[in-house]
Amino acid sequence: MSKYIVKRVIAAVLTLLVLITVVFFLVRLMPGEPFTSEKLNPIVKENMIKYYGFDKPLIVQYFQYLGNLLKGNMGYSMKYTNKTVNYIIGSTFPYSADLGLRALAIALVFGLLLGVVAALNRGTRLDVFCVILAIIGTSIPDFIMGAVLQYVFGLKLKVLPVAKWAGFKYTILPSCALAFYTMASVSRTMRASMLEVVQQDYIKTARAKGLSNFRITWKHQIRNAIMPVITIMGPTVAAVLTGTFVIEAMYAIPGMGKYYVDSTNDNDYSMILGMTVFYGAFLIFCNLVVDILYGVVDPRVRIGK
Amino acid sequence: MAKKNVRIPSGEVIPEIPETLDPSLFKVIGKNTERMESISRPSLTFWQDAWRRFRKNRPAFLGFCIIGLYVILAIFAPIMSKYAFDAMDVSLKYATPSLEHFLGCDGSGRDIWVRMWMGARVSLTIGFFAAFINMCVGSVIGGLCGYYGGWLDMIIMRIVDVVYGIPSLIITILVMVVVGRGIHTLIIAMCVVGWIGSCRFVRGEVYRLKNQDYVSAAKVLGVPDFTIILRHIIPNVMGMLITNLCMAIPGAIFQEAFLSYIGLGIAPPNCSWGILAKEGIKYLKVYPNQVMFTAFFICTTMLSLTMIGDGLRDAFDPRLRGTE
Amino acid sequence: MKKASKMLALLLALAMAASMAACGSSDGASAETTAAAEAAETEAAAEEGAETEAPAEEAEEPAAEEADAGEAAGEKVFKFATGTEPTSMDQSKGNSIADNEVQRALQEGLVRLINGEVQPGLAETWEVSEDGLVYTFHIRDGLLWSDGEPLTVDDIVYGFKRLVDPETASPYGWIAGSDASHILNADAVLAGEMSVDELGVAKVDDSTMTITVDTPVPYLLSLLGSCTEYSPVRADYVEQYGTDFAATAEKNVYSGPFVLTSSENQELHYAKNPNYWNADAVNFDEVVQYIVSDDSTRVAMFDSGDVDYVAIPNEQVPLYEGQDQSYQNGNDDYLYINSASETQPLLQDANFRLALNYGLSRTEYISLATNDIYDPGCTFVLPMLSGVNGGTYGEEYGDKLSAFPVDGDVAKAQEYLKAAGVEDPSSVTVELVITDAESEKLIGEVIQQQWQTNLGINVEIRQVTYSEKYGTVLPSGDYELAYGGWGPDYDDPNTYLALFNGNSPYNYSNYKNEEFDALMAAATTEQDVVARMDMLAQAENILLEDGAMVPLQYRTVHYLMNENVTGINFTVGAVNFDWPFGDIAQ
Repeated sequence: MSKYIVKRVIAAVLTLLVLITVVFFLVRLMPGEPFTSEKLNPIVKENMIKYYGFDKPLIVQYFQYLGNLLKGNMGYSMKYTNKTVNYIIGSTFPYSADLGLRALAIALVFGLLLGVVAALNRGTRLDVFCVILAIIGTSIPDFIMGAVLQYVFGLKLKVLPVAKWAGFKYTILPSCALAFYTMASVSRTMRASMLEVVQQDYIKTARAKGLSNFRITWKHQIRNAIMPVITIMGPTVAAVLTGTFVIEAMYAIPGMGKYYVDSTNDNDYSMILGMTVFYGAFLIFCNLVVDILYGVVDPRVRIGK
Repeated sequence: MAKKNVRIPSGEVIPEIPETLDPSLFKVIGKNTERMESISRPSLTFWQDAWRRFRKNRPAFLGFCIIGLYVILAIFAPIMSKYAFDAMDVSLKYATPSLEHFLGCDGSGRDIWVRMWMGARVSLTIGFFAAFINMCVGSVIGGLCGYYGGWLDMIIMRIVDVVYGIPSLIITILVMVVVGRGIHTLIIAMCVVGWIGSCRFVRGEVYRLKNQDYVSAAKVLGVPDFTIILRHIIPNVMGMLITNLCMAIPGAIFQEAFLSYIGLGIAPPNCSWGILAKEGIKYLKVYPNQVMFTAFFICTTMLSLTMIGDGLRDAFDPRLRGTE
Repeated sequence: MKKASKMLALLLALAMAASMAACGSSDGASAETTAAAEAAETEAAAEEGAETEAPAEEAEEPAAEEADAGEAAGEKVFKFATGTEPTSMDQSKGNSIADNEVQRALQEGLVRLINGEVQPGLAETWEVSEDGLVYTFHIRDGLLWSDGEPLTVDDIVYGFKRLVDPETASPYGWIAGSDASHILNADAVLAGEMSVDELGVAKVDDSTMTITVDTPVPYLLSLLGSCTEYSPVRADYVEQYGTDFAATAEKNVYSGPFVLTSSENQELHYAKNPNYWNADAVNFDEVVQYIVSDDSTRVAMFDSGDVDYVAIPNEQVPLYEGQDQSYQNGNDDYLYINSASETQPLLQDANFRLALNYGLSRTEYISLATNDIYDPGCTFVLPMLSGVNGGTYGEEYGDKLSAFPVDGDVAKAQEYLKAAGVEDPSSVTVELVITDAESEKLIGEVIQQQWQTNLGINVEIRQVTYSEKYGTVLPSGDYELAYGGWGPDYDDPNTYLALFNGNSPYNYSNYKNEEFDALMAAATTEQDVVARMDMLAQAENILLEDGAMVPLQYRTVHYLMNENVTGINFTVGAVNFDWPFGDIAQ
């Protein structure tokens, strides 16, 4: 197991290096330039290019970037000129992660619950109810969901704040808006996978053995059915925790999502790279956790063989 | 579940058997070879059976009809209407729904009904193609990874990590640079990253299935890999895959909506459901009609697709074959 | 360090939640599993709550408490929400109106432009030499920075020099040069050809300094009063923090009406600066600026009483009829025409360009594309700029310009089209470049519709990103038509007209007209203000008669303001929303 993890970590570092390299050169292919405004004087632009070291050959810049990255320095943003990428990520990630974790908690608890309940009561009204709830969740784009929740609970009923992030009350609407889609997809995946498991022979055996329903459900069904859910969780966790542009913008939450989208629009190279490195590392970590969980949850999958 | 499979013997009262039987009560009729060989129920191929079960699944069939209706409307509604989807009229700004304009008009006096179906053309095309291509590519690669494992798996999964780590916006922008703005751009951009989801998923499933006893048995019997994949793995993955596909179509439609939301959608004046929803959401407080209609069509499409997905999953499930 | 550990804690919490749930299910005891899974959930929630809420509360609560305590003690707190995040808190590196609005509260220039009038700032008095080339400023005594250190002439001069120093790489360095201020040697310093010390800004003695320009600049004082990039800078802070100067509130000192207390988490917190020379005129004790990028959310925050001021997005203006007020922000939008286009040679023909202009009904366009909010633009230079006889430029020169008809003139447009040699309009296709902003998309669609209907020509829309438009498309001339706009840098038609100078770096239209260039050159050296303005108006007329661009609209911003708030000015130019001397009734 530990050998496997070491192997995976080495692979993860290499993957990250490849990712940085690919993105480093890809962003330079993007149309447009980082230094743009309606009135950018050519001389001024020249000065800015020198200031950021863009006058050097690309390959030199690349190794300089890698060198700085090893020291943990991701450079200065080119749009927010006196802020470092480290500073921006450091000050925005806690908010995105906070929002993301709340949303994930809601999504997992209710998603698994809905999925299991629906599967165990297949074909009944309860099932239909759960399925419809899940479908509604996956049917509404987040920007409509977010706007409608804000409008109804914030402006019409005036029970919750419309925006900002300053205490528990403020977190409810955005967490729910963000959780809805994930919850729905968790519950759907869980339901489908439960139905699959329910038909397996070992369930019949367990039933024949006279195990209690509760025990069968917990020990045999859920544990086996949760695998596909774990698979989809890896990327979902990474995506949800590193900021969601729409919900954060809509609820004025000072998270990372805005920078993720804006940096691409502004050709803010150092910011794009910083975001990619951070997100990439996070994603690889999440996938690693997922693969390890595979081994833990499913005894038939023996890792490292 | 199990109940449905169990056939309960009929509760007919069997007449009391006399202690001694009179042989004259019986006569030899000989073998009826014809009846012996006859099959009481019609023989069905896999697809026929799947279709039969799918049709019997009422919600799935309803969903199928709704999608069919939408496809027909998307094709014909814009042609039949006398209004062009991009024609503006100052006097029709925010017109409420009427017989002239079924869904009213937007802030620039454009007919929402026609725009809705022009948008449906784009969104449905993107949804179906992107999801289908993703599924095909993803399941082939994922299947190979999951089945063979080892170095192949390791390398492909690292590639997957890299591709997944590249911000999708950068990919979309770069694809736009290469092929220009349009439906095909969005489909290509979505496919560059999109196959990964189904790849990871199929890989996980195949990983699980290949350790099942029946696969081991097949292997021991010397069945070639290709046949094992075709006969044992694919039919078993199919159910989940179909469900996944039906989830992936809404995903692709949403992705398009998100790209439109941040301004990277298809070139104006064309519209999609994503663009309509975005235009509509601005007017939520002033003129909620537009976003409500758009949300309605998006939702019912998703609903139908999900019901179809469920129906197909059951229909393709080899263990449910021949039941009901 | 603290941040890093927080992140680590988060990751651990996440991993733990996942692994605990997993361990729980593998040990088989069902009751325990439920408990373990639930424990993991709640623990994760608790942990995350404890860890990540901390920074939020740290930043939020002191401010909130202060606000509450302040309001209780009769302190005046003003809160507002804006959409654009300032790009830099470094006064020399401002690059947008959002940046300038922040710096205007934090720093003081030599003079201050208040509601269009030049008022004394750090300089108590000033005089201009007879040839209009040397400005002498007499600096106030006893000026202090917010940290109590004396504010000296050296600090002010350093501010100017730092702005043009190539090492600073300020995006607005050009404002000192021949595009605007004409400060002596500024262009050469910027280009690195001269040392910074040769810039025409000099200390005379401890209370006097001079600015030398290379040509008379009638608008120099108003430019000095509005352009916050000319603010004083403390050299010791720049040395101490280097590239991190002004990165956070403590890494800078302030000379203006307010000091920055925090700039974290998309919120700017200002407090009154007691060391400001005119602190008596400052009424707000505390100001909070929320950066909220979503238009609807901003208005929702006003509706829910969280803020005292917001701008209303165009589509929601009708909802607030009666409550809203409006001002013109001076943004003048028009279509760039690439008059040297090779892909569409027709654009080189003035007749075709005029056909485009006459083929557009601006009344209809304004209604369809801007919800009737903006004013139609039929001339190029913003009419609300100051004229020479006390009125606005529009009032004094409006009727001398050959403005385009506001409703368009299809018949005339067709004539021009014929004159341009177009027999079959449907065979003509022009390409219009817009950015991916939502508002521009609608604008593009409306223009496309109008030209297709009125002229019969085809319009293809090419959407690009903002950085692509200004980074490559416009400078390289790889376009036919492009939507764009220009906000005046200073209160003079020159800010617009210079764009069409044959040798201007911003002449993205590739427009070349010798008559126009000669007039502009003559106006630059003309000493008589009236004669100069006449020349500029004549020059504008040449552009209009040549159809050098397609003017579209002058932007109007509708806003909501708490009725207790008074004394806030809305101006055109470097700053739109000028709040530092406002007041709020209790």
